[in-house]
Amino acid sequence: MGTNAHEQETIQSPLVWHPQSAADAWQLKQNFGADAVYAAGGTLLRTQWESGLAKMPAHLIDVSRINGQEEPIREHESGMTIDAATSLAACRSDALIARKLPLLAEAVKQIAAPSVRQLATLGGNVSSLVGDSLPALLVYDAQLHLFGGAGEHWEELSDWLAATEQALLSSQPASRLLIGITIPMPEGTTDSHAVAPAQEELVSKTKRFGAYYKVGRREAFTPSVVAAAVVGSINSSGVLEHMKLAVGGGQTIPRRLKELEAAFAGSELHAATLQRIYDGVLDVYEPRGDLFASADYRKSTAANLIVTELWKSAAEAVTGGW
Amino acid sequence: MGDKAADASTAYKLSCTLNGKETEMETAPARKLLSILRDDLELTGTKRSCEIGRCGACMVLIDGKAVNSCLTMAYQCEGKSIDTVEGVSAGGIDPIQQAFLEEGGFQCGYCTPGMIISVKALLDGNPEPNDDEIAEALSGNICRCTGYGGIWRAVRLAAERRRQPS
Repeated sequence: MGTNAHEQETIQSPLVWHPQSAADAWQLKQNFGADAVYAAGGTLLRTQWESGLAKMPAHLIDVSRINGQEEPIREHESGMTIDAATSLAACRSDALIARKLPLLAEAVKQIAAPSVRQLATLGGNVSSLVGDSLPALLVYDAQLHLFGGAGEHWEELSDWLAATEQALLSSQPASRLLIGITIPMPEGTTDSHAVAPAQEELVSKTKRFGAYYKVGRREAFTPSVVAAAVVGSINSSGVLEHMKLAVGGGQTIPRRLKELEAAFAGSELHAATLQRIYDGVLDVYEPRGDLFASADYRKSTAANLIVTELWKSAAEAVTGGW
Repeated sequence: MGDKAADASTAYKLSCTLNGKETEMETAPARKLLSILRDDLELTGTKRSCEIGRCGACMVLIDGKAVNSCLTMAYQCEGKSIDTVEGVSAGGIDPIQQAFLEEGGFQCGYCTPGMIISVKALLDGNPEPNDDEIAEALSGNICRCTGYGGIWRAVRLAAERRRQPS
């Protein structure tokens, strides 16, 4: 005799554990190994289970209570920290994030829909490796607070993404637990891509710019084809400074385009420079294509987004046009 | 270690408030709220459709916020207040439902309970939403019949009536 859907769902339901600390969550994962999965909002897991991309595990480790901080989004001397289990909805409505991390606010606004964001967490978006918050966090030089076998430690997001990608390629995924995300802010400044006060006078005539773009196949609630973030400044002579570029989208693990940032630091920003930056993006960005959008399409979209932002910013910064 | 496992099949008891009534039930901890509502409690106003959080037909209010019940597991409802479309209309037709009726904000009606829930969450939190805020609030609700024109009119009418003194 077959089982009905209710019985089937009951039989398959994992045991759910509710550790109160990162150490306890970590120990559970060590005990159960591949039979256990960390979960906070669980939205990505649920879609993977429903689509058959992943099997429902025997054990679910609920990490939504491991921090116990009164303020999941908090400002401190060296920057801002957001607990990993903070919902995307909380990030979206937080005044501090809106004011000090506008690119992250914009990225979060464009992830899924408000109802999904009530459950989904920033930590889950980061841990997915392809979340659309990542380009924004990358240009903010985000650091991850992780818990692993050696206890708690900090790691640059860009390094962690690269290392995790390598570990996946070698089939040795690391099982560190993400606790929080910190955005460093230079001492004495008020936002994440401000310059230090000592430099303030020197750059008083600069135009700072920053933008986050997501391109998908629909206007809203759509997976990204390309997600890109750009910050930097242009001085009154039209020279590009402090530029940071990050690109991802789709199933491509996002990364900073540091080779372009270095190559164009101090460059005068005119039409020929924009062309070289455009060509540079095509050259260094290696997205994964799929049936809906080829790798070449994603490359040219990323290049267009970045150069458009630079062109707009330069046009505003320099009088007399190009 | 202060951990506690909620047994998958027998020992887990969910305690929550459902449509204003304190409720306890035995269920599997990872059972979908959608399945609990429709299959266990026969609250079939909440609709089953995509089951991956894309369409919004299964929307319910959890602590006053619109959430996809197909993505929500039983243990995530512990201690929460859940309202379905049956709860919204428990005291008679809700003004939001009335606005949908008057403006033709539905055709086949399958998406409508989810739409009503999302609009209620929106207007309860923001009585005077602008067009961008309405679009964002309804971005997780898909309608394949109306072309959304009637839905937009219904949301604006419901908001306008809330602003008028009764």
